[in-house]
Amino acid sequence: MNVESSTIREIIVKSEAAYGSQDAFRFKVKRADESGKRAVQIENKTYTQLKNDTECFSAALEALGQTKGHTAVLGTTSYEWVVAYLGIVNSGSVAVPLDAQLPSEDLCELLNRAEVTTLVFDESKAAVAQDALQACPGLKYEIAMSEESAVSEALSLWKLIGEQQPGYAYEPQPEELATIMFTSGTTGKSKGVMLSHRNLAENATCLDMKIEPGTVIMSVLPIHHAYCLSMDILKGLSLGSVICINDSLMRVAKNIKLFEPTMILMVPLMIETLAKKLEEAAWMPAGLVKAKVFGKQFHTICSGGAYLNPAYYDTFARYGITILQGYGMTECAPVISTNLSWDNRKGSVGKLMPNCEAKTVDEELWVTGSSVMQGYYHMPEETAATLEDGWLKTGDLGYVDEDGYVYLTGRKKNLIITPNGENISPEEIENKIGEARLVQEILVRDSEGVIEAEIFPDYEYATKKKIKDVPAKLQEIIDEYNQGAPLYKRVFKLKVRDVEFEKNTTKKIKRF
Amino acid sequence: MFEKLVDIIVNYVEVEKEDIKPESRFMEDLGFTSFDFMSMLGEIEDELDVEIEQEKAADIRTVGEAAAYLETL
Repeated sequence: MNVESSTIREIIVKSEAAYGSQDAFRFKVKRADESGKRAVQIENKTYTQLKNDTECFSAALEALGQTKGHTAVLGTTSYEWVVAYLGIVNSGSVAVPLDAQLPSEDLCELLNRAEVTTLVFDESKAAVAQDALQACPGLKYEIAMSEESAVSEALSLWKLIGEQQPGYAYEPQPEELATIMFTSGTTGKSKGVMLSHRNLAENATCLDMKIEPGTVIMSVLPIHHAYCLSMDILKGLSLGSVICINDSLMRVAKNIKLFEPTMILMVPLMIETLAKKLEEAAWMPAGLVKAKVFGKQFHTICSGGAYLNPAYYDTFARYGITILQGYGMTECAPVISTNLSWDNRKGSVGKLMPNCEAKTVDEELWVTGSSVMQGYYHMPEETAATLEDGWLKTGDLGYVDEDGYVYLTGRKKNLIITPNGENISPEEIENKIGEARLVQEILVRDSEGVIEAEIFPDYEYATKKKIKDVPAKLQEIIDEYNQGAPLYKRVFKLKVRDVEFEKNTTKKIKRF
Repeated sequence: MFEKLVDIIVNYVEVEKEDIKPESRFMEDLGFTSFDFMSMLGEIEDELDVEIEQEKAADIRTVGEAAAYLETL
C-alpha cells in the first residue's frame, strides 16, 4: 500500500509499524555448513531489525560527535551500506554516497570537496580508506562495514551498533539536507547534487504504482545512483517490499533463480543484452525460455538512466514481461515521469510524477516540484545556471502532450547547430538509425560542417546473418534513413568502430 | 584451462573455436559487451566451482589473461 512520507525517517518508522516482522532484505552470505564446507546461504533482515540497526548507527554517530558532519558511504550494495546510509541521514548528518568504481585519487578528491568527516567503507575498498587517511585531512573517523578490517585505524560498524540501544528518535525536518550525490556526468567535472529529506522521500512515495506489500524485487544497479537508492531502496521499503541484493553483475542470472524476484530496475544496456539472449532462443517455446531465464513469477522491468528504444518492449512482451520506461535525473531525486503497468505509452517516458510540474522553454523541458534539488554543493554559478525561480532546467529537449505524457527529443548541450542555423538533435538521428538490428551503438556529431555517424556494429549479428561487408550494409541503413530525412538532418559521413564506445560508470557513452 | 574457456566463449559470441587465441581480446576481437562478459564469468564460476573477484575481473582483457587468472583459483 502506498503511504506518503516527507522524510526518510518517516518512511522507516511507518514501514516498520506496518511490516515489522516481514523481511526487508535478503542477501547471500558464505558460511560453513554442518560438515564444515563453506556454502552460500540466504540471510534475511526484517523491517524491525533494519529500523533498530539504523537507530543504533545514528546513536553511534552522535556518540562520535558526527551528527552535524558529512559522512560518506563507499562500497557496493549491501545490508551494511543501507544501514549506514539510513543511520546517517536519520541522525541529522548528511550522507555522501560514492561510486565504488572510481579510482582512489578521484574518491579522495570527492571526499575533500564534500568536506567529509567520517568515511564508512566496504572492505573491498580498504585501499581507498588507507589512501584517504593521508589524502583527506578533514577526515576524523573511518568505519569498516566488515567485522575486521585491513585498515587498523578503522572502527567497526557492527561493534559501534552493538554498543548502542535502539530508540534513537531524532526527527529530521523535510527541508533538512539529507544527501550530497555526485553526478557522474558524461562531460565536465562531477557536481554534488544537494537533496533534502523531502526531495528524496516524496519522490519515492508520491506515486501509487499499485505494488502489493511483500513484492520480491532484486536490486542490481549501483546503489550510489539516485535511481537505485530512491526507487529500489526507499520506494521498496515504503511499500513493504522484500529487497534482494544482487552481489555482482556476474551473477544476475544465478541470483534471479535464487531470489525469484517479480520486478527488477535496469539500465538500457542490460535490457539490450537480455533481449539478444531472448532473440537467440526465439525458436523455443516462450514459456520455457521465460521459466529458464527469469522464472515463472517474473513480470516487470523498470528502465531508467538512459533512453531505451521502445522496440524492445515487444521482444519482452512475448515472454509476458512488461517494460516500464521512466525518466529522471539526480537533480530531481531522481524520477520526473514514468510509465505504469496499466498506463504504458510507447515512445513516451510516461506521465509526470504527481509532485512535478513541467513546461517547455525554447524547446527545453523545465520541471518544478518537491523533488527539485537545493542546488550544487559549493557551485553557485552552476546552480544559478540550472535553477531559475524553483524551476530545474533539465537540459533535455522535450515536451508534455495534452494527455500529460512526457516525450524527449534530445539533449540541449548535444545540439548540432548547422551553418544555416538549423538545430539538430543527434539523439533523434541516433534513435532512428539505432533501430536497425546491426547497429549496436551509435554516436552522431558534427564533423567539419556535416553530420557524421560513428557506429559500433553488432558483429555477432553480422556473422549470424552472414553479412560479409559490414560497412557497406551500414551505409545502406544510412541511405535508407537519409531518404526519409530532410536535407539538413542527413548523415554524410560514416565511421565504423571495431570496439564498443568508452562508457562512464553508469554505462552511458562518453560523448566527447 | 584455455580449452575449457573456449568451450564456454562460443556459447556467448559467434566465433569459431579455432579463431580464439590466447591474445584474443574479449571486447575488441570477440565482440563481447561488458554485460555479456560479466554474465560469462558468472557461468564460469558455476562450471568450475570457483569464486571470481569482481575487482580482478575488471582487469582481464584477453582470453589468455582470463585462463591464467582462473588457474590461480
